[in-house]
Amino acid sequence: MQEHAYASIMMPRHHSSGFSNGYPRADTFEISPHRFQPRATLPPHRKRKRTAIRVGIAVVVILVLVLWCGQPKSVASLISLGILSGYDDLKLETVRYYDLSNVQGTARGWEREERILLCVPLRDAEQHLPMFFSHLKNFTYPHNLIDLAFLVSDSKDHTLESLTEHLEAIQADPDPKQPYGEISIIEKDFGQKVNQDVESRHGFAAQASRRKLMAQARNWLLSAALRPYHSWVYWRDVDVETAPFTILEDLMRHNKDVIVPNVWRPLPDWLGGEQPYDLNSWQESETALALADTLDEDAVIVEGYAEYATWRPHLAYLRDPYGDPDMEMEIDGVGGVSILAKAKVFRAGVHFPAFSFEKHAETEGFGKMAKRMRFSVVGLPHYTIWHLYEPSVDDIKHMEEMERERIAREKEEEERKKKEAQIKEEFGDANSQWEQDKQQMQDLKLQDRGSDKEAAGLNQGAAAKAAGAIEGQKN
Amino acid sequence: MARPMGSVRLKKANPSTLILGAVLCIFIIIFLVSPSSPASASRLSIVSAQHHLSPPTSPYQSPRSGAVQGPPPVTRYNLNKVTVTSDPVRNQEHILILTPMARFYQEYWDNLLRLNYPHELITLGFILPKTKEGNQATSMLQKQIQKTQNHGPEKDRFKSIIILRQDFDPAVVSQDESERHKLANQKARREVMAKARNSLLFTTLGPSTSWVLWLDADIVETAPTLIQDLASHDKPIIVANCFQKYYDPESKKMAERPYDFNSWQDSETALKMAEQMGPDDILLEGYAELATYRTLLAYMSTPGGSKDLVVPLDGVGGTALLVKADVHRDGAMFPPFAFYHLIESEGFAKMAKRLGWQPYGLPNYKVYHYNE
Repeated sequence: MQEHAYASIMMPRHHSSGFSNGYPRADTFEISPHRFQPRATLPPHRKRKRTAIRVGIAVVVILVLVLWCGQPKSVASLISLGILSGYDDLKLETVRYYDLSNVQGTARGWEREERILLCVPLRDAEQHLPMFFSHLKNFTYPHNLIDLAFLVSDSKDHTLESLTEHLEAIQADPDPKQPYGEISIIEKDFGQKVNQDVESRHGFAAQASRRKLMAQARNWLLSAALRPYHSWVYWRDVDVETAPFTILEDLMRHNKDVIVPNVWRPLPDWLGGEQPYDLNSWQESETALALADTLDEDAVIVEGYAEYATWRPHLAYLRDPYGDPDMEMEIDGVGGVSILAKAKVFRAGVHFPAFSFEKHAETEGFGKMAKRMRFSVVGLPHYTIWHLYEPSVDDIKHMEEMERERIAREKEEEERKKKEAQIKEEFGDANSQWEQDKQQMQDLKLQDRGSDKEAAGLNQGAAAKAAGAIEGQKN
Repeated sequence: MARPMGSVRLKKANPSTLILGAVLCIFIIIFLVSPSSPASASRLSIVSAQHHLSPPTSPYQSPRSGAVQGPPPVTRYNLNKVTVTSDPVRNQEHILILTPMARFYQEYWDNLLRLNYPHELITLGFILPKTKEGNQATSMLQKQIQKTQNHGPEKDRFKSIIILRQDFDPAVVSQDESERHKLANQKARREVMAKARNSLLFTTLGPSTSWVLWLDADIVETAPTLIQDLASHDKPIIVANCFQKYYDPESKKMAERPYDFNSWQDSETALKMAEQMGPDDILLEGYAELATYRTLLAYMSTPGGSKDLVVPLDGVGGTALLVKADVHRDGAMFPPFAFYHLIESEGFAKMAKRLGWQPYGLPNYKVYHYNE
């Protein structure tokens, strides 16, 4: 009875709809507990309040107890149903499994989502970074499939800071197509004393030890950055000025183990407009092999110097600006400006010898070693990328000379003009004199005609004489 | 008519029931909240990466399924700070143990677990061929790894484990000892072995490794302090003497005999032989057809001799070989071709020497090979 009354207060509508057939009956107001009932218990709203307080106290007690036991983080995650849980709750993966036959590298790697490792060795290269990153932005190969690895060694400028800034900007780019894959910046100083400026870099005497140090840097970079999931490795110098955006796909399409484009550089007009740059890509010659046999075990043959006349066919000199860019040429030594190689080449152990390997070091030795392990090494003579032109000391001298000559020429020109103006001033304006004389002559003619009519030809001779006199005066 | 339940129950509730409920609740919550294995995450999280695109020498935290992972972070590694010293434990130096594996031996794994170098500094790398035998070895290896990494005691768990399946065909189908050691098969076999070693090395080295220990899959017994002992000599390349224990029917007890002949000092004879060889021919040790008269590390061992005796070598074997990571980073690898008429680990020693790193051997410090 009591409960019934309570229910009626809770859900008054039950009474009107409480009939099973749904029809409102005539005697709707015939409610059975329709009489006064003294309140024995608390009114329901108070009851609910009390329940809430009890539950609240219980929860607080439990919380305090659990917190007291000291697991605040996990309690937080439990209460928030795991929404707030951070990395700490995530599973640590300690075992990785890779099948290397899945990362062999194919002609259409972008379709098979093949990952490329892009390696860039850097030293005092701060000034070139903006140009390099503009290239990076434009690569058409899917960026998320490219892992970047930089080696910063023995730098005295702000290469490291600038590089980090650029990379963080590109990873935070709102365009989802911009960010790259894994990015590693490797710092390692080799304590090299070799200068990086153009003159000392290309001097013959410094070449062998310089190339060995460069090789060492490349090997450190590769060994720290190559992973079991890479199918390709692309080596790129930071000072490439112009290259097709599609260069990765273009080189990959050839499906060769090692492939390089032709590398030229633009020159000022007075030097001929353009010039082959990378002379390290070449085919072996009999002369060079004979020369190699005569040399000491540690000697390194460097290409492009008169000291070692090898008579090798160079990729650079075979360029035809209108040639087929897909034409391939077998080569033995490769240049390091832009090398695309299958990762399996490096996995097999081919590297950049930091010692004299078959009388070669660094990238040339790399080409030789790849050949030794029967990998295909190919150059594209008519597919050209352009290296930045950095004037040499001689060029700078020559340019200064030219600048002086130009200034001297300009000075001369100015002086000549000044002289002319002076002459003009001194002798007056000949042109206006001419006009005046012409006018005078015409006037005279008119006068003559008038007098003709008057004198009827009598004075003809006199007039002619006068005209002649004017002529004479003019002259 | 349905009865509003809540009020009814509460009304009848008695304080002791409530307390019992609360206590139960507390137990349930504590059970839910407490981690199953305390401190497992904290020990490794110091060295773990946030993204699966990270050096495999460290573990990584896998994201929850369905979570969108942003692009990987820009990570700086300062290799100037990676030390390689004679006291690697104190300097917390990371070591990479590399093993080309064709067959799995339980004794090998047990021996590995017994190494007392801190396991949280050890990364294991394996490479296995894609053959029937290789598949079998892989599944056995994975079973043991699963057991150790997920259910084993905390101190046994390794920092990270990498399993690679090689991408080239094995040269010799059979791994039987008699077949494997035939001279004719040796060049092809060691060429494949060299490639396997290089694949394993150059994909796992990463930016934080200080030492690389090459430990063959058939080395079943070493001192638990193997790593510390070899490192204590502070040599760029150092190799232990590999012996094999066998049952001697004459003396009716276990005896030991030299096993690995690839560690040696060069001889005039060998150098002269090499001079007369074609560019692709190789010199091999331990075959009567090729008498090189080299001084072998295997025979330099003297009973009761000092374990700390160090001798310079010209060729090394890969059975238990500790190498400073710098040597490999400079480019020293296992030539899969005739390099000065040497191949694989012997060629490696030569290449290291060309790069200015001298290999050494320990004649009286022994490790033991499996006996079939």
